[in-house]
Amino acid sequence: MIMGQERNPEEVARWVNRLDQPTVDTAASEAFDEWMRSDPRNRDEFADMQALWHSDALVDALREVSRDENEAESAVQGDHFLNRRMAGWMVVGMCALLALFLAGPMFFTTTYRTGAGTGQSIVLADGSHVDLSGNAELAVRMLPWKRDVTLMQGEAFFDVQHDPDRPFYVRSDTTKVRVLGTAFNVDRQAANRVIVDVYRGAVALEADKASPRVLHRGERSRVLNGGISTSPAIQLATAQARPDWTAGWCEATDVPLAVLVAKVQRHVSQPISFADQSLATLPVSGRFRIAEPDRVLVAIRDAYGLDVRQNGSAIVIAAKAQSPIAN
Amino acid sequence: MPQLLPLSEDALPCAPDEDWADLAETIARYVRSRTSRMDLVEDVVQETLSRLVTQKQQQKIVSIYALGFRIAANLLVDHHRRDRRYVGEIEEDQASDAPLPDTVVAGRQELNVLAGALAAMPPLRREVIVRRRLHEQSCATIARDLQISLKAVEKHITRGLADLQRALAPIRAETDGR
Repeated sequence: MIMGQERNPEEVARWVNRLDQPTVDTAASEAFDEWMRSDPRNRDEFADMQALWHSDALVDALREVSRDENEAESAVQGDHFLNRRMAGWMVVGMCALLALFLAGPMFFTTTYRTGAGTGQSIVLADGSHVDLSGNAELAVRMLPWKRDVTLMQGEAFFDVQHDPDRPFYVRSDTTKVRVLGTAFNVDRQAANRVIVDVYRGAVALEADKASPRVLHRGERSRVLNGGISTSPAIQLATAQARPDWTAGWCEATDVPLAVLVAKVQRHVSQPISFADQSLATLPVSGRFRIAEPDRVLVAIRDAYGLDVRQNGSAIVIAAKAQSPIAN
Repeated sequence: MPQLLPLSEDALPCAPDEDWADLAETIARYVRSRTSRMDLVEDVVQETLSRLVTQKQQQKIVSIYALGFRIAANLLVDHHRRDRRYVGEIEEDQASDAPLPDTVVAGRQELNVLAGALAAMPPLRREVIVRRRLHEQSCATIARDLQISLKAVEKHITRGLADLQRALAPIRAETDGR
């Protein structure tokens, strides 16, 4: 059947590449379905090539070929290395310098930005996984001796590949998390408010005005204005492997309304604001389906007697005139 | 064929009749070549379809195929993570590095072929693919860093992918024919 008509793998590859882009426009998406429905060979070949593009084998092969090009690494891993130790070290040193010089551009920072409602799952070059919430910004820099990640906005769940020689740092303002290989969540709720939850292993936490502290599995720390407070066993459901938000939920216990609204904002493009700033500090509790912003807003409205209005293209949360809640 | 959730007709008056069987078959083909665990295939396909049906009832889906592939890929990542966690339960950090043994065997031949095809590519094409797939750089970043046009980046990726696919075709034919 393949003989019948000349097939062009580049046409298939173009679709794989187009769908791999952070944004795909509506016209292209519709054209893609049409193309897939039109011919079973399109479907089969796309499935094959998409699997190839996503495969671990491809990542391993890419790692292999880029390692071959990097002489420094092959010198370090050579087996005969111990025999000629001194000469070996010199070669390593020179190659490392050369590699640094040649591979300079590879060490540039990669920045990931997500819009409202479009979280992203990222696999970093070292194999670590990052789930990024909507409305987030994350900068990643991979160096041979360390891995540096900065969370400028939003929330991220990290599943870090173990590498004792290459510590993994996550910064958000003055908060600094250092890990070797573990899974944890960093939520930047405001410039001076960052929450860290550990799901597996342990991390070392540093902040501006507090001494460093080690956080273990199941523990949560809040970094507020540079100080660290650790909740003893906040019951972050350690049976759970990953945070709620990655499945679209948010569990809140006496959290300022503004924090919940910021989480909802990660899922909607219209700006949400408060008519009265005192509402921002209103403590809220509950389990909210943040992936469905409408439901959350209705729940807040009903539970706290607030008024949620559509004001042009914006959503405004206001106190109800007759409501006794908004002090 | 996987069974489907009942889809209420009146909920979607203007939705085109989706050919779920074709979709299921396509997703299954993708999942089969992504995992060596055959028991996973049906689970992932079922779950993907049921999520698609739910989402389709709630909102207009622009591309059902694109969304289907994305859901299936995410489910595979979840399963993979869970597997790693079970393995890593005893010796947390050390164990997480080691891939599962059966994945190693299955992937070895494929890896050799792919590495060979990559090595045979023009260096610039290889570089573009390394940056895009291994370092997850955006096409715009690659174009800027390598000082080539965005069109050229796309061309290198599509030609490179086509090369890789052609190189793999003989082994794929072998596995299909078992």
